[in-house]
Amino acid sequence: MGFILRRLVFYFGAFLVAVVINFFLPRMMPGDPVDAMLAQGARFTAEQIANLRLTFGVDQPLYEQFFTYLGDVFTLQLGNSTFFSNMPVSEVLANAFGWTLFLTGTATILAFMFGATLGILAAWYRGGKFDSLASPLSLVLQATPQLVFGIVVLFSLGVTWDLIPISYAYDPELTPDYTSWEFIKNVLHHAVGPIFCIFIVQLGGFLVPMRNNMINLLNEDYITMGKAKGLSNIRVMLNYGARNAILPSVTALSMALGFVVGGALVVEVIFNYQGLGSVLYNAIINRDYQLIQGQLLIMTVFMLAFNFLADVLYVFLDPRLRKGGK
Amino acid sequence: MGFINLLTRNKKALFGLCIVGFFILTSIFAPFITEYNAAKRVTGSHVAPSQEHVLGSTRMGRDVFAQTLYGGRVSLAVGFGAGIIVVAMAVAIGITAGYFGGIIDEVLSSLMNIMLVIPQLPLLMVLAAFIGEVSPMVIAMIIGLTSWAWGARVVRSQTLAVREKEFVVAAQVLGEPSWRIILIEILPNLVSIIGASFIGSVIYAIMTQATLEFLGLGDPTSVTWGTQLFNMQKTSAIHIGAYWEVFSPIVVIACVGAGLALLNFAVDEIANPQLRSHVGLKRWKQITAQKEAEAAQEATAQQGAAS
Repeated sequence: MGFILRRLVFYFGAFLVAVVINFFLPRMMPGDPVDAMLAQGARFTAEQIANLRLTFGVDQPLYEQFFTYLGDVFTLQLGNSTFFSNMPVSEVLANAFGWTLFLTGTATILAFMFGATLGILAAWYRGGKFDSLASPLSLVLQATPQLVFGIVVLFSLGVTWDLIPISYAYDPELTPDYTSWEFIKNVLHHAVGPIFCIFIVQLGGFLVPMRNNMINLLNEDYITMGKAKGLSNIRVMLNYGARNAILPSVTALSMALGFVVGGALVVEVIFNYQGLGSVLYNAIINRDYQLIQGQLLIMTVFMLAFNFLADVLYVFLDPRLRKGGK
Repeated sequence: MGFINLLTRNKKALFGLCIVGFFILTSIFAPFITEYNAAKRVTGSHVAPSQEHVLGSTRMGRDVFAQTLYGGRVSLAVGFGAGIIVVAMAVAIGITAGYFGGIIDEVLSSLMNIMLVIPQLPLLMVLAAFIGEVSPMVIAMIIGLTSWAWGARVVRSQTLAVREKEFVVAAQVLGEPSWRIILIEILPNLVSIIGASFIGSVIYAIMTQATLEFLGLGDPTSVTWGTQLFNMQKTSAIHIGAYWEVFSPIVVIACVGAGLALLNFAVDEIANPQLRSHVGLKRWKQITAQKEAEAAQEATAQQGAAS
């Protein structure tokens, strides 16, 4: 239990660092934060400027501003978006969040399942044809950014062959109705492209570590023992090798899920998908600072939560750690 | 230099090296390859590839081939520049934490761990947004200053392992100063790790720069692969079907990324011989087969002598 508590304290500290960055960055700019935003070409109405000055509390001493800001963060008052017609930032983010989670969650879980399986096979047949093709290929895929995949997929499947929609999460004419099959089909059709792009980039991220873990494990004595006992190859591969090698991958999965929110940004922009990425893109183009800052916070929280989940999972999955804890 | 020898002997490394070298050379010698100015209008809007304009033109009438060549200068410079910053910081912080241990290690380690869990892309976006239309140099700096944590952690754990080795203890007993032990005794043992971390950082920096600029955070007047993509997106070149404008920067970025990834894969194999699959294993099998054959020969010879 002590371990988990220590991690919690650490993650709380990390979250505070993100809050501190968010707090000091606009205040380190020349002039007051509102001037800085205006100098960057943000377009505000006079009313918005007055509101902003109030939110930033520029006339108060710095430490008082900080505690006000801290209180606001914990009560989810992240200010108002200037681009999305003055909607509260937390509301804008909440609307977009579900779409991002849908895209990247699906893609990551698929990538984990395929990546881990292929990694096991690559390690088992190490040096064989499949391994020497798949392992370098997945490294190359991993190094290829989603920017590249997104544009290639959109151009080829979307524009040239017209197989997938090139914009939006569902046809704008449809009214969202999550019980009708028509609507769900439409949503899925729109999601194929983005999910594929995120999936393919993450695939290598699961395949290569799985392969390397597994190769290291295959040198262990108990594998030799298993083979010597005359167990079937499948049994040695899955029950003796993969079962142990998958541990780090499970935690990697949980951390990857933490990344997903950030990872989908570019793909969403390319496919004009209405998740956090598109919100962020609009925020950047229109210099909507509080919205950009809100994004950093929500992504940090998500990342920390899944890192914590990974820690807990590790204790749960690895009996050696559990015993050590007691 | 055994390390370079190893690099050139590995086929993957050589191939990667050739790709990356090719793009470095073409961007350095850009003025000799194209006559056009990358930042000026030289022809009509969205002209398809022709003899005069090998890769066509953008909506602003700029030559895409020239932009891609000149863009490589900035994009590669940012990649390698940021890579150097990342590695320098990672090595400095990692070795300090690993070698001195104690409270220094604790402070630096928690700093690393915190940097690791704060998502980098959004952090970079917030930084870039407040600095405003960041120039390529600033992009290199902020990427460098925010991405050292992973490298530092790897360097630290390797330093911890090396520090316990006899030759380091011997140097300490001899009364060598710390800086000398770190530079002469420890650092050479970290070369492969530092190499891998450097290449990884360069890939990351090139991709991140392109991403930041694509999202409109960069300086739109600079000519880089990222701003090419930004302009491509802004003028909806994809929807028009201007494939030359869409694919030029994409293909180049993907090639450089692939080349560097191959290089990194090779460095990984050199650093961790267990991962070597083909060459090493084949040689091992050859050697054992040879030994067995020799042993068999000897055995028959002995049998012959005995009978």
